[in-house]
Amino acid sequence: MALLEVKHIYKSFGGVKAIQDFSIEANAGEIHGIIGPNGAGKTTIFNTISGVYPAEQGQVFLDGKDITKLEQYKITRLGMGRTFQNIRLFSGLTVEENVMCAFDPQSRYSVVGGLLPTPNRRKEEKRGRELCAKYLEAVGMQDYIQERPENLSYGMQRRVEIARALMCEPKILLLDEPAAGLNPTEVAELTELIGRISQQFGFGILLIEHRLELVMSISHMIHVQNFGQTIAVGTPEQVQHDPQVIEAYLGKEE
Amino acid sequence: MSLQILINGIATGSIYALIATGFALIFNVLKFSNFSHGATMTASAFIAYFAIAGKGLGLVPTLLIAAAAGALIALVGEFVGFRRILLNHSSATYFFVSSITLGTLYEGLVTIKAGSNFFNFPRFFSTPTISMGEQVISTSDVVMFCISMVSLLVLAFIIQKTRLGRAMRAISFDRDTAQLMGINSTRIIQLTFVISGALAGIAGVFLGIKYTLYPTLGSLVVKGFIASVIGGLGSLTGAVIGALLLGVVETVLLRLLGSGYSTIATFAIMLVFLLLRPQGIAGSNVQEKA
Repeated sequence: MALLEVKHIYKSFGGVKAIQDFSIEANAGEIHGIIGPNGAGKTTIFNTISGVYPAEQGQVFLDGKDITKLEQYKITRLGMGRTFQNIRLFSGLTVEENVMCAFDPQSRYSVVGGLLPTPNRRKEEKRGRELCAKYLEAVGMQDYIQERPENLSYGMQRRVEIARALMCEPKILLLDEPAAGLNPTEVAELTELIGRISQQFGFGILLIEHRLELVMSISHMIHVQNFGQTIAVGTPEQVQHDPQVIEAYLGKEE
Repeated sequence: MSLQILINGIATGSIYALIATGFALIFNVLKFSNFSHGATMTASAFIAYFAIAGKGLGLVPTLLIAAAAGALIALVGEFVGFRRILLNHSSATYFFVSSITLGTLYEGLVTIKAGSNFFNFPRFFSTPTISMGEQVISTSDVVMFCISMVSLLVLAFIIQKTRLGRAMRAISFDRDTAQLMGINSTRIIQLTFVISGALAGIAGVFLGIKYTLYPTLGSLVVKGFIASVIGGLGSLTGAVIGALLLGVVETVLLRLLGSGYSTIATFAIMLVFLLLRPQGIAGSNVQEKA
């Protein structure tokens, strides 16, 4: 069984069929790109997988466990990290606190123990801060620990959000349009970063992205979505020559 | 005499601060005003009163019982009154109705048990006043001030330095994202209610000591509410500053105008303040949002 198995999921909003029969299998170390025009249902796929709302049909398995109907925080704790299309950092917290938030489920002391300065708590907080430093360094943001996210550039905020997702110690990482709003230099840096963390931490990545140069260069497999349906699956090479994909992106040839 | 008034005002203000922060905590996390807070104060103060009545227990056990009772009431209230509304992402109106209903219910229960009588806490201090040179100040004022300040410092520590506080702050900014980062928001909200309830319990006993205990004592929650609005809704530091200010203004006016006009004057000043600075003392860009 693959690390992440999504089997034939469906989701609609009123009359809009946002996802129709979407399936994907992802393993550790793999990068799967999901592309498609706006409104194709890509973010809905992420929201359904990560439990923001449950799928109407179909199942989602993470590491062999059925997570289809689990609450969001439980899915996260089982090893699902994600970032958001519109950056959703906690703006009143420092960079370090933002990342530490995702450490919450990892720390092993009890709720009462969390309030008292016991040796156990200090040890856990220390472990948390070390992990936090490690992940912030992995995304190159180690010099901004005490900064507030709203004072950082868009590209830097993206990196902090990725570090926060890493803090969830994910088996599967969902990146929702990480290159949105970035300039070409930043896109190149981000491409390098995604490839590097994928190698370094060995989790599976699902990547929604409009910048084709990014997706095509690092994805092992690509799913092309259009109006809620999967119109093509294959290697970057394959989908680029798929007539349906070309039609969806460029329009039908007369 | 002036120093005496100041100390008096600050002591009163510190009780308002307990009310206001308990109020602001819930507002921060859930973005609604919990109008059952006042009745929670009354109910927990009464529970503590009946628990210690005739046993000769001191102030500290009384406060502990009241804090525990307040925490329990808030916990039950969260489950009965707010959990479903929260999970459904319903509008704030439902919270409003639900919290007022809960408050009326608590008040009704207290009235059944206590009638419309007034109750006095036993005298907790053998020497009712402390003399400092010319000044004579009441022991209970000093003790209440100190305990309030310690409670507020503990609260500040929890919010700024513990992972519970970090999770509370994260949820106050964006509950959905916090959940996607693995934070169990239901649990954190429960704990927020527990802390808020415990603060209500302590404040309830202090109000009981200051003004005697009666079933509608909880209406004094309005003072805490005003204080948190003056401070800037949602800001805990603002709430404390607003509460101390309100306490001092009220005490000074009481001395100058007598009890009748002082209430009117206090509220008039507060209204003018809010007209001039509707965002409160802390303003909109609050740093230590809890």
